Amino acid sequence: MVIVSVMALTASMLAGCGGGGTGTAQEPDNGSQAGVTTLRFATWDTGDALKIEQDIAKKFEESHPGTKVQVEAYADGFDQKLAAGFGAANPPDVMYMWDFPTYHQSLEPLDDYASKDKDLNIDDFYQGLFNYGKIGDKLYGIPAGFTTRVVYYNKKLFDEAGIAYPNDGWTWTDFQDIAKRLTDPSKKQYGFGVRAENDTYDLQGLVWSNGGSFISEDGTTIEGYMNSKETAEAIQMLGDMLKNGTAVLAGGKGQQSGEDIFKAGKIAMWESGIWPLESFREAGIDVGTVEMPAFPGKPVKGVLAESALSIAKDSKHKDLAWEFIKFYVSDEAIKMRVADLPVRASVVNELKKDQDPLYKPYYTMLERSDNTPAFLLNPKWNEVNRQLSAAVESVMFGSDAQEALNQAVKDSERYLK
Amino acid sequence: MRKVITYTLLVFCSLLFIAPLFWAVTTALKSPQELYLFPPKWLPSVWRFSNFAEAWSIQPFNLFLKNTVIVTLLSTLGQLISCTLVAYGFARFQFKGRDALFLIVLATMMIPWEVTMIPQYMEFNYLGWINTLKPLIVPSWFGSAYFIFLLRQFIMTLPRELDEAATIDGAGKMTVLARIIVPLMGPSLILVAVFHMMSCWNDYLGPLIFLNDQTKYTLTLGLSQFRGMHGVDMQSIMAITCLISIPPLAVFFFAQRYIVGGIATTGIKG
Amino acid sequence: MARINVLNPQRQTAAPKRLGRKRWGGAAPYLFIFPWIFGFLVFTLGPLLFSLVISFFDWPIVGQVTFVGFDNYVEMFSDDPLFWKSLMITLKFAALFVPLNIIVALGLAMLLNQKVKGSAFFRTAFYLPSVISGVALAMIWSWVYSGDYGILNYFLSVFGIEGPDWLNDTKWSLVAMVIASLWGQGSMMLIFLAGLKGIPKDLYESASIDGAGKIRQFFNVTVPMITPTLLFNLITSIIAAFQQLTLALLLTGGGPLKSTFFYAMYMYENAFKYFKMGYSAANAWFMFLIVLTLTFLVFKSSEAWVFYEGEMKKAKPKHVKRRAAGREGH
Repeated sequence: MVIVSVMALTASMLAGCGGGGTGTAQEPDNGSQAGVTTLRFATWDTGDALKIEQDIAKKFEESHPGTKVQVEAYADGFDQKLAAGFGAANPPDVMYMWDFPTYHQSLEPLDDYASKDKDLNIDDFYQGLFNYGKIGDKLYGIPAGFTTRVVYYNKKLFDEAGIAYPNDGWTWTDFQDIAKRLTDPSKKQYGFGVRAENDTYDLQGLVWSNGGSFISEDGTTIEGYMNSKETAEAIQMLGDMLKNGTAVLAGGKGQQSGEDIFKAGKIAMWESGIWPLESFREAGIDVGTVEMPAFPGKPVKGVLAESALSIAKDSKHKDLAWEFIKFYVSDEAIKMRVADLPVRASVVNELKKDQDPLYKPYYTMLERSDNTPAFLLNPKWNEVNRQLSAAVESVMFGSDAQEALNQAVKDSERYLK
Repeated sequence: MRKVITYTLLVFCSLLFIAPLFWAVTTALKSPQELYLFPPKWLPSVWRFSNFAEAWSIQPFNLFLKNTVIVTLLSTLGQLISCTLVAYGFARFQFKGRDALFLIVLATMMIPWEVTMIPQYMEFNYLGWINTLKPLIVPSWFGSAYFIFLLRQFIMTLPRELDEAATIDGAGKMTVLARIIVPLMGPSLILVAVFHMMSCWNDYLGPLIFLNDQTKYTLTLGLSQFRGMHGVDMQSIMAITCLISIPPLAVFFFAQRYIVGGIATTGIKG
Repeated sequence: MARINVLNPQRQTAAPKRLGRKRWGGAAPYLFIFPWIFGFLVFTLGPLLFSLVISFFDWPIVGQVTFVGFDNYVEMFSDDPLFWKSLMITLKFAALFVPLNIIVALGLAMLLNQKVKGSAFFRTAFYLPSVISGVALAMIWSWVYSGDYGILNYFLSVFGIEGPDWLNDTKWSLVAMVIASLWGQGSMMLIFLAGLKGIPKDLYESASIDGAGKIRQFFNVTVPMITPTLLFNLITSIIAAFQQLTLALLLTGGGPLKSTFFYAMYMYENAFKYFKMGYSAANAWFMFLIVLTLTFLVFKSSEAWVFYEGEMKKAKPKHVKRRAAGREGH
């Protein structure tokens, strides 16, 4: 008898998992109790950024009586937690989002909200940001923050070696030359740090800058793109710097990272988004930023990492969720979020962010970020990327880039049929 | 001579186990500028004990501590009672399907949580237990395979004649368990209590999946708030780790003498 | 408390049946194990069956669920090099980890079993790593292993040895993981220690009267007497080896070049990075069967080598037998 009821339970779970949510009982605890509506807001942020978000939530509660914003901080368990939430049709109402190809089927399209609601003042946003939240022609996320990638450099090491600070318009030849001069194996000091496990997403700026790409613009072909001469050259360059000793191999997420070594003053240059800037300053490093170098004779291209806010399809409080998103990207809230780069031109102008030499390169790179990243072009990109990542990693460990990429293309073909 | 070798080995091994923790403590005490120096600085130039208080106050850790204590105490109590009963059942009786059932007990240890996590979440969601401490407590009251197995092994080393003597005197099975077996099991029960407390105290996945609201969070979830998608606040992690390791360490220090001291002096003596 | 009729196997096996029926009928044992049965049916069986069912579906978590029959299993065996690769890595890890874990834990337990001053301190020290949460452990190990800036290579350099870049060298990464895993042997050591303390001293005395040296005492007295704890530690070690995930996830991410890409990590990535829940469930069930088979074999074999004092129907090791016989005479 018990077994039968267990089977029944299993069956009802199965019915509920389709994402429709009709088969699963929703408990009242995220509904309204005694006139108070709870809005669940999931974030991946931690530390100071999280504190600021909690403050924004409080501000929102003040202006919306009868509302409680429950800030759910999933930190680096974000994907796992969302998987459980969506899988059981019990997701948060509003959530941070960047991986739209994976999640968009469970997200609410926001085009109607965005076009009808004049308060949003959509024209004030940097327009390029919206492309990253679109699947097909539907908009699933409102940009809340972004970063482009720049080169950080340690001014003290440059001064000691008597090398002038790099300027916008520099080339990879300059870069490699500087890296060589700032390398001193006896002090365990290197010109540059290269990640052992690169996120191929981040490498796209480098590849585009050399005129290469991972996939054709229509998203159907990788042969001749992922393994083109230009793509291979760009990736080979990183491998070569490791081989000739002017760069050190930096470990993955859990290991002593390139950021840690940069903070120790043992690498002179490091490439990343805005994330580590604050911690570099805290560690007492006199840090400068400069836009990415160019390949001689070719325009520099950048890649954008965007964080957006989305609403779950299963949410019971979509209108309230929209109000919250709108508040979150309002001038007032953007000014509170000092760790993020502002997404509104008006705020940037007011705070003169693009005049600050430390912040200017992020905005110059933003102008150079008009290519579409591969993961938005092909729904099977995840599978292809698995092969590509393995190939790129093997180049960091000494393989030949052209051969490795040819192999990756061969191994990926079956996913694109 | 023998003594010298023994002590040398003991001290050497202790160093191996303690040295990395020494680093955790000093990391927590350093100033941000000293954290990443190479060659490493063994001792901070200024001992910043305020780092502990600062890290503790970034998030409501007092609240997290309270939640963790509730979960740990209640689930440990449940674990002790249920596992004793079940282990006794498996160790002392011959019954139909015993070996098969016991193999199922063992098998439940091998289920990878990656795939049962979502259905479990659905079930608790169905019961209305998501975002409460119940999923972290209630299942403990129905025994966990690891401890059932451990206690069974201990009970099976106890001579059967002890039960029999009592049974001949007219004691029922429950009385035998309560009067004869449990007193002899003291050390192994403390062992189970200590082990379960440790795993409960440090559990990350359960709380991550089943809790949403920060007011329900446990210490490890609080700790994970220092580890973001981009970048890790190493100093705060070390500071909090040091602080939250103190209670389990203290429990262990006081419990260990009973765990290892007890068994030799009970029961087995003629 | 006296031990009566230690060597009377007939009575031993007959007794429980007779007595059990007298008081509670045949239901008694089931009542004792009822909490587990209930918990299993309510909390474990459902999710378990669910995962079995879902392994025949394509379930991307977000999006449609489609029935695919045995496709997941077929793809796994015939069309996924990562499946075989991660399986081999896990087997290699288990082959290194399981015996070493038992040897280290038993060795440390025997060291602590001596009469020494400050044993409470040493026990706590050996157990210390088991108290620290996984996130901090991974950070500590990354600091130990780092090639240029790590503490391990710093020490080696003092002796003129140039250490490898442990976690970025495919030859050493798996070894590094084994060492890091061994560091958390505290629980196992404690279980062994409890087992060792349970061995009556007079067994050693009678063995030594017979002229057995330390080594023979170890094999003839110590080993047989701790076989129940050995069985426990062996089985839990095997399971732990197959489930090893935290350290790989936090420390190496499976690299370099997939050299620490454990099977558990493969499952984890399929589930939470690629959102292929059905496929991941198929992976899980295959591993479940492997571990179950291994455990079953160990468990079956244990009848031949595990010695329970409570069930003396089996042949006993030499010295134990002699002592018991001697006792009876007194």
